[in-house]
Amino acid sequence: MSHGFEVTAPKGSPAPDNPMIARLAKVLEWLNKAIVRLSMVAMLLTAFILTYSVVTRYLFKVPTDWQDEASVFMLISVTFFSAAYVQSYRGHIGIEVLSSILPPAVNRFRLLLVDIISATFCLFFSWKSWTLFHEAWVDGQTTSSTFAPPLWIPYAMMAAGMTLLSLQIVIQVFAAITNKRETA
Amino acid sequence: MSPLTLGVLYGIVTLVVMFSGMPIAFALGVVATGFMYFFMPSASLDTITQNVYEEMASITLLSIPLFILKGAAIGKSPAGRDLYSAIHAWLHKVPGGLGIANVFACAMFAAMAGSSPATCSAIGSAGIPEMRRRGYSPGFAAGIIAAGGTLGILLPPSITMILYAVAAEQSLGRLFLAGIGPGILLVTLFSGYAVYRARREYAVAYQAYQQSGTASAYLEKEHFTLAQKVEMLPRVLPFVILLIGVMVALYGGYATPSETAGLGALLAMALIAIVYGVWRPKDISPFITSTIKESTMLLFIIGMSLLYSYVMSYLHISQSAAQWVVDLHLSKWMLLTVILLMVVVFGFFLPPVSIILMMCPIILPPLKVAGFDLIWFGVVMTIVMEMGLIHPPVGLNIFVIKNIAPDIPLKDIVWGVMPFLLLMLLAVILLCVFPHIATAFPDALMGVK
Repeated sequence: MSHGFEVTAPKGSPAPDNPMIARLAKVLEWLNKAIVRLSMVAMLLTAFILTYSVVTRYLFKVPTDWQDEASVFMLISVTFFSAAYVQSYRGHIGIEVLSSILPPAVNRFRLLLVDIISATFCLFFSWKSWTLFHEAWVDGQTTSSTFAPPLWIPYAMMAAGMTLLSLQIVIQVFAAITNKRETA
Repeated sequence: MSPLTLGVLYGIVTLVVMFSGMPIAFALGVVATGFMYFFMPSASLDTITQNVYEEMASITLLSIPLFILKGAAIGKSPAGRDLYSAIHAWLHKVPGGLGIANVFACAMFAAMAGSSPATCSAIGSAGIPEMRRRGYSPGFAAGIIAAGGTLGILLPPSITMILYAVAAEQSLGRLFLAGIGPGILLVTLFSGYAVYRARREYAVAYQAYQQSGTASAYLEKEHFTLAQKVEMLPRVLPFVILLIGVMVALYGGYATPSETAGLGALLAMALIAIVYGVWRPKDISPFITSTIKESTMLLFIIGMSLLYSYVMSYLHISQSAAQWVVDLHLSKWMLLTVILLMVVVFGFFLPPVSIILMMCPIILPPLKVAGFDLIWFGVVMTIVMEMGLIHPPVGLNIFVIKNIAPDIPLKDIVWGVMPFLLLMLLAVILLCVFPHIATAFPDALMGVK
């Protein structure tokens, strides 16, 4: 189904004209690359943990309690942290019928509007994630399992990842506003 | 405002926002948050992130990235090509055997990789040129691969089915097993058609040869010695063992679905390291990166779809819409037809993941009232969504084939796919008449529900 959307070539945004925005975009690009490397390691580690859990349970009869939650934390982190990277080449799929119908000028405006709304939503989500993290930290909340790891860990990951994603979209918005119009 | 009016408003706003071109994940989040702001107590906005986290922090859902990793590892290796060559060598004497070899290779690869487009590209890049070299018409060759690829979401482990199991609160193991019977049915139908069509094309070529002496690749004989055939096995066997091993781990009760995903991903990577020498960081990083890209995009859509359906249920939209459907008092089969048509129409615009999560809360209660088995329906819905992969306007597999065989005109591909679409429709009808095709296997293995 679903999967394998990679067939559509990722369309990267052109380098921003404004030097300040361009520098910011560069920093973010570097950060995203580093995060993807970390995410790769996290994903492999998760596969190891789950395999380890099967092996210990069947070979050594050791009951497993922490593996599932560790995996959940890990994959939640990978998902939220990589969201900015996916946004950087506009890899979050949408219904793109309008882009082929509208005249270029209107289309640019539509894209800008869509990005501003997306950014607002992501900023709101980041803010609420940080408050959630703060609560979990102050109250010392844990999951309800016997292993009971602190909940601030995944909340922090979610909050930081969403903040990064918001920043990515905001930069794309500013790049679109400050870029000189290409003369067609 | 009555829940039903609110529901209509919710639907319209969603359509508008989605068609604005906003990424599906953000669009769902924006609409859900907007309706929370206007129609729900203000405190609910404070727990929005907690909602998303709690829905997403399910180990079943999070097995998706690992299943994608397993598929990507196998998909990026030459395993597809080798699998295809081996099956072809063993089946080439059977009339129409080349077509059957392609269908079989697709089915086996699909079961290992769990992805339709990956199957199309892995088997198609070897299978389509070979079929055309042997005289198969381009449209027919493309049709076999496009249709064969769809088996990826029916045979376990299917990501679509994982989501359905979560949304419908059904046993994932049972659902996976229920996909096997219909999977075999489709393989049989596709193979049968491939033989019929190949024989007809052969007859035409033969007649042309008799009348005017026009040679056709169809008429050439091909031969593999036993030594050649046996030689091909060592590269294929490990993957067959992986396939069986994963099934045994899952159904023998040794591992949960998520553990199976982790184990499968590691085993797949170990196999491509041993068989193809793919183990250096620079070899494996491309497919892990594409796994991250794909799973992040998917899980974002899933997380936001879950928020979307949470709002729908809080505002009693899903319940009233479901009640409204029940109150229409449609006959059992009319209800099924209407619902499946809706799935088809939604499939024009949305990926299966969002269709399942957005539609299930509304369509499952009426189906349950009408007496349908929800495991059975999960399989039927999956086949219908598979059809969406090979028919316009989205038809992801069609575009994958256009990618690997750019010289086949799109028109030929679409026409080549049509007979297979009809066969899938036939499979859906057969499933309605004989529901045991899906339910017999899980009932036999896991006991009757």
